[in-house]
Amino acid sequence: MNDSTKTSERPVKPKPRARSFLIALVLLVLTFWAAVRVSFDLSTFWEVWSNPIWSKFWPIPWDWVFTKENTFDPLIETLQIAVASTLLGCLVALPVSFAMSSLTTPNKVVYFISKTIMNLVRAVPDLFWAKLLVTAIGIGAFAGAWSLSIFSLAVMVKLFSETVDAADPRPLEAARSSGARHLPAVKTGVFPTVFPSYVAYSLYIFELNIRASVVLGLVGAGGVGRVIETQRQFFRFDRILGLLIIIFGIVWVIEQISVSLRKRLV
Amino acid sequence: METLSDTSIPSQRPPEPKTFHRWFIALPFLVAIIWSVVGLDITLSRLLAAPGDAWSIIRQMIPPAFGEVYERGAVGKIFESVYIAWIGTIIGAFVSLPLAFLAAHNVAPLWIRSPIRQLFNAIRAVPELILAVILIPVTGLGAWAGTLAIGIHSIGTLGKWACESIEDIDEGPMEATKACGGKWVTGMRWGVLPQVMPVISSYWLFRFEINVRASAVLGMIGAGGVGSELVSQLSFRNFPAASAVLIMTMAVVLTIDTISAAVRRRIIKGAETTDEESRTLEAITDLTGIRS
Repeated sequence: MNDSTKTSERPVKPKPRARSFLIALVLLVLTFWAAVRVSFDLSTFWEVWSNPIWSKFWPIPWDWVFTKENTFDPLIETLQIAVASTLLGCLVALPVSFAMSSLTTPNKVVYFISKTIMNLVRAVPDLFWAKLLVTAIGIGAFAGAWSLSIFSLAVMVKLFSETVDAADPRPLEAARSSGARHLPAVKTGVFPTVFPSYVAYSLYIFELNIRASVVLGLVGAGGVGRVIETQRQFFRFDRILGLLIIIFGIVWVIEQISVSLRKRLV
Repeated sequence: METLSDTSIPSQRPPEPKTFHRWFIALPFLVAIIWSVVGLDITLSRLLAAPGDAWSIIRQMIPPAFGEVYERGAVGKIFESVYIAWIGTIIGAFVSLPLAFLAAHNVAPLWIRSPIRQLFNAIRAVPELILAVILIPVTGLGAWAGTLAIGIHSIGTLGKWACESIEDIDEGPMEATKACGGKWVTGMRWGVLPQVMPVISSYWLFRFEINVRASAVLGMIGAGGVGSELVSQLSFRNFPAASAVLIMTMAVVLTIDTISAAVRRRIIKGAETTDEESRTLEAITDLTGIRS
């Protein structure tokens, strides 16, 4: 009883170890070194308002922006790239994801090879793919669609194979115990339970692709980025600003539709 | 006996559900797909020719000319990309952390959190590359434009993630500080921050991984880093050098991913799972995606 009346001592604060200090010091030095290398310069922020370049952003030439050939045709091309590459990437991703999941993989060799290839593909940023394919198969929307297909394949298999991993194994076991071969067993035992997330992920990939396809044109892979790149070379930032407002308005609307569809699915 | 014989009667299959209406749901998707395929002029012959073209480029890429790009200073360029990502992540983290507290619905009033949420959404909607396009005329070509672009974009995502983890907290500690007479700031410092810091710092690391890829890309439009190297090698059609740059970039990206994932796991799960052997195993898992 009298134990509880005693004021308890505060526990001693654990002393930080020497190793923690060392790590902190190394990180701090690295950060300073990095800051020097990227010419870290906060004065940009207060000098930015006196920068004469701002006058080039304003006023926005709306009559130039609201024309078919300047904005809407490239924008439609952008949307088409996003739709086509989502389709191709996600279709190919379906069998690859099943091969890449430890639950449904046909054998270890397929599993290993597909995992390794997909990890390597994902290690290359999407615009590097675009630039590579533009060089390989020529400037234009076709190369852009290919590069986004590859990238959506890589992202999709990562997301979807993890969903398949987490699927309920019992229907698959039931199908196998009734003597089904591998493919029919996967088709009836796993596929129906993961199909809704497949569709939801496809929509998510579509959103990613729309954003990515806006910038594809900066490396010559078609879409509305091509217009941005051209105007950038002429220093017509007023036109770029007008274009960007239109683009992100439309991208935002499409995303909201896609997000609301996804919410209904999952 | 009556009940037993019941089971021997073959039960009737339930009628299959009608699936006709599904076609109406699929119809807009089909129309969109056909519209894009026709609009992009994707024909089967072009589709089949593309892998051949790509293959001829790949053949020219072997063997990669590591020596040549090393002499051109590609290693420094790759590290410049990493520096850009690191400083950009730090800028994003520093700005987003206080803003996230003002955006979470359980700790901030409506009038302040809704504009900040809109700010996060607006920032996230604009890709880094577009930010860099706007920033390059202001700051000039170079690494600082890329750093700012990455920093600003990171504010959006990091702010959103941090805000969501603040909204998930156990509100007990916050109430306790309030009961002791603590002010709002005290409640945040002692009631909220200790709970969310592990999650938020692992988000920072995760964002750093993403930013390394993003800063590599930013070089392609002249915002510093390895992208410019790849672009110039590809435009000279010097494929062995381009593949060397590509392989070096992949190596750095994968190394950073692996280290960062290991640190993140250590932050979230704590030290108990990280004896020497399981650490190595988990690093292999991160690199190859193969669980043993």
